[in-house]
Amino acid sequence: MVKARHPSDKATHSQLKRHNRELVLRAIYHGIADNRAALAQETGLAKPTVSELVAELIDEGLLAENGHGPSGEGGGKRPRLVKFVPTARNVIGISLSEERAEGALAFLDGRIVARHQVELHGAQGDDVIARLADVINGLLAQLDAPLLCIGIGVPGVVNSDRGIVSHTARLGWYNVPLASILSELYSVPVYVANNTELAALGQFVFGPAGEMDSLATVLVGGGVGVGMVVNGTAYHGGREIGYLRVADQSLVDAPPDSEGRLETFLGWHYVRQRAAALCRAYGSDLLPGPDELTYLHLGYAAANGDPAALALQDELSRYLAQVFAWIIGLLRPDHISLAGPMADYGEPLLAQTIAYTQELILPDLVEEVTFSLAESANLILMGAIAQALQYELGLA
Amino acid sequence: MNAKPRTLGIITNNQHNVFQRNVLAGVREVAAQRGYTVAIDSYAEDPARPQPITLDYHAVDGVLVIANAAPNDLLQAIYESGTPISLVSHHVPGSSIPAVITDNAQGITEMVRYVVGECGRRSLIFVRGLPDQRDGFERENAFRRELMRYNLPLPDDRFVPGDFSPTVAARSIQRLLDNGTAFDAIVSADYLMGIAAAETLRATGLRLPDDVLVVGFGDAPEAEAAGLTTVAADVVEQGRRAARQLISQIEGQRISGVTVLSVRLIVRAPCDPR
Repeated sequence: MVKARHPSDKATHSQLKRHNRELVLRAIYHGIADNRAALAQETGLAKPTVSELVAELIDEGLLAENGHGPSGEGGGKRPRLVKFVPTARNVIGISLSEERAEGALAFLDGRIVARHQVELHGAQGDDVIARLADVINGLLAQLDAPLLCIGIGVPGVVNSDRGIVSHTARLGWYNVPLASILSELYSVPVYVANNTELAALGQFVFGPAGEMDSLATVLVGGGVGVGMVVNGTAYHGGREIGYLRVADQSLVDAPPDSEGRLETFLGWHYVRQRAAALCRAYGSDLLPGPDELTYLHLGYAAANGDPAALALQDELSRYLAQVFAWIIGLLRPDHISLAGPMADYGEPLLAQTIAYTQELILPDLVEEVTFSLAESANLILMGAIAQALQYELGLA
Repeated sequence: MNAKPRTLGIITNNQHNVFQRNVLAGVREVAAQRGYTVAIDSYAEDPARPQPITLDYHAVDGVLVIANAAPNDLLQAIYESGTPISLVSHHVPGSSIPAVITDNAQGITEMVRYVVGECGRRSLIFVRGLPDQRDGFERENAFRRELMRYNLPLPDDRFVPGDFSPTVAARSIQRLLDNGTAFDAIVSADYLMGIAAAETLRATGLRLPDDVLVVGFGDAPEAEAAGLTTVAADVVEQGRRAARQLISQIEGQRISGVTVLSVRLIVRAPCDPR
């Protein structure tokens, strides 16, 4: 049975119609039903309503007739099958960071056809919007189907309901009505959200995580962020949490400007310095200098027994475990994924983090959660695409 | 009403090589659909007697340059003149000249996932391209990153010269065989070197892919004929996408930056997983 998203909502006629249409589309998209009778049964809608909606969706190209299925147990007419057509529309997903704007042109099943990227070179304010337009123009040239909508992930504080970027200091954005600026330029709906929550949504919709209702993605790179999916929808509140104070700061000598902030233990700027200090203390044959160092180097060196990389893995796991413990203590999500550059440290870091998490809260609570590394470099892009699909078609 | 058909000027150093021929097929297809004619300047059909580039870029509506067929200062001059320009499989570092390229990092990721993750090979050789060419260094850097992901060591003697030349690649592989170096897979920075490596191995009686798995980058009928497993973007599609990018600019859309096409793994000789 396909469940209504907000069954208690009072709805106008057009909202109701849209809602019913989404039920039908979702049932076919997820392979729950493939003919009109099954759709009626699964959605609880009347057969004439289903037939009308299916006819409309076929007209729009989103569904197509797909031959005949076998007749039911009692014999009788073989049902006419319908299928979802992922190539009926294109979607553009964009991920904006302080360094670059990167967009992807995808079909409705998330398959990326082309990406387009533009370096920001320190651009601020309106110039950043001009760079976003460069990315969109580059992808518009490559459309294979009509454009359904655009989804954008940005760093900083976002009011997703109104499509406004409230605050992204390093891009010089304060209360920028990004969605309306771009939807006026391109005449399609535009959705804006924080990068971190899109990473979570991308993992939820396109990741291999399996059956679940809620998930948290911990994104660790330059800073630390947490994004959440609750009851199948992105929770608009995901963001950077690097300014929060760490409970147990006794583990390493905190940097002088730390004030106990999480990002001064887990942010790349500090991790790199700490790696250099540990290399001096323990010696290391496998790690390059700070300029060349990446999390892949650290994971590789740790797997090959490098003492500095192993010591750092232990320290990072202890801090990360505090983040995991907060999340589990507050939310008890079905799943937590570690994403962003730190995921390149690999499975041993994750395993150690889980072990330390069990020391911080009831081990039974930790047992209920599954964990994964999200290694996809396209996670935020996929989230922007997933968000666009959710809003426009009620899919995903 | 535009009476005179508009023209795309193409600069290529060869129009009969497989790669260039396929790009041109894609460009011609889109040009025909959109009502454009194509003027081709192929200045060096005979590599022994290269001709100067003669295309008058002021006389065409847009210029499409295939691979490294024109020097960067000419590309920059065309770009700055305001004539729309798009590059195929080439990119001028630090410049915002629009280009359509393939995703080298993603391609190498897929390739190493296949060779190491699926086929279980652990002792790899990388046949290098030209490290000062974009494709050469991007593929090599991605290969180093991906090996680290599988915790495999990468000593320098595992990276052998290839220079994007089948002759150089074959010589490097022969040297490894002569030295008695042990390896169970060869990852080549392009498919032509991959074919040459495979031929060298077969000539000594080695079984492919059982004894050594050889994979390349990029695809063409030669690679298919040789049964080479490779990662590639459809080259005709690359031509189509570049033509769309150029026409979009001619018709008034401002484009800057690089469009990157995804590649896919093409397995031609399945391995027995180890």
